[in-house]
Amino acid sequence: MTSTQPANPTLHILNKPPGHPRFETCLQAIQDCDQLVLTENAVLALADRSVTLPAACKAMKADVDARALNEQTRTGTIDYAELVRLTAKHSRIISW
Amino acid sequence: MSTLIIVDQPPYGTWAGREALDMVFSLAAFDQPAALLFTGAGVNWLRKQQAPDAIGQKSVEKNLSAAPMFGVEEILADTASCERFGLGPEQLVSGVTLAENLQDVMNAHSNVAFAG
Amino acid sequence: MPITDMPPRNNEGFLEDANQWTPEVGRQIAADDQIELSETHWEIIEFLRGFYKSHEMSPPSNRLFVKAVKEALGEEKGNSIYLMQLFPGTPAKTACRIAGLPRPTNCL
Repeated sequence: MTSTQPANPTLHILNKPPGHPRFETCLQAIQDCDQLVLTENAVLALADRSVTLPAACKAMKADVDARALNEQTRTGTIDYAELVRLTAKHSRIISW
Repeated sequence: MSTLIIVDQPPYGTWAGREALDMVFSLAAFDQPAALLFTGAGVNWLRKQQAPDAIGQKSVEKNLSAAPMFGVEEILADTASCERFGLGPEQLVSGVTLAENLQDVMNAHSNVAFAG
Repeated sequence: MPITDMPPRNNEGFLEDANQWTPEVGRQIAADDQIELSETHWEIIEFLRGFYKSHEMSPPSNRLFVKAVKEALGEEKGNSIYLMQLFPGTPAKTACRIAGLPRPTNCL
């Protein structure tokens, strides 16, 4: 990917686990002003010490709980209502 | 608000691509502007003369050919991926626009979703 | 006169195999729905048969069925009132059933 600057802050919704090619591509595409939300198997990133997560990162609580990752407190968690709020707040969304 | 659906997985192995078609056709059904982008192994969707009868599947090539009729705005393919999989202009199905810069394509849409 | 060798159909009356369709089979399925096929019905049925041959699927929803008819036969026929009069209920489902096509995937 080139460094063309997107016009707006983007919400990245990632559901692929670390090691999946799209997981890496997503992390590379994230700009400083962007927000990342980890869902489904992407929450395994919380337990993966080799992954550096961006500052603006949240994980879906239901998915964290399902995988017993509650002790992994590298990011805050959000519920579905908060996810909806985030999607409404961002004019650009990429679902990886 | 325009939506770009990206297919980066090959046809027939999984249901991911069918899901992509379903998404893009559903958007078109409600007159929402939508486009499809094929990249990586996903460009193999666009190869002419697929004959999946012997593996008991319907041709995604033929399914995809309904897209313009349903109002899907554009079918795009990543140039580098086409080169990688040996898809020259003679092998590509008709109606495909080649895209040099994926980032520009993604930036042109407010909603981007990978299939599968 | 009802045909005796009706090809297998699923619980909603759709043919299991679209290739086993004949016009007589179509007439029979229509009769089950109390529809007597006229020339205007056949025009849509032939369109659907051709659509299936080209695209290996039924129009996935009623909206897309209407859109496809509009694209092929014009506004006068590609509208839901016209198609609903010919094929009562959900026109895409009724018409696909009579034309021997699989059930549209996104019709309730």
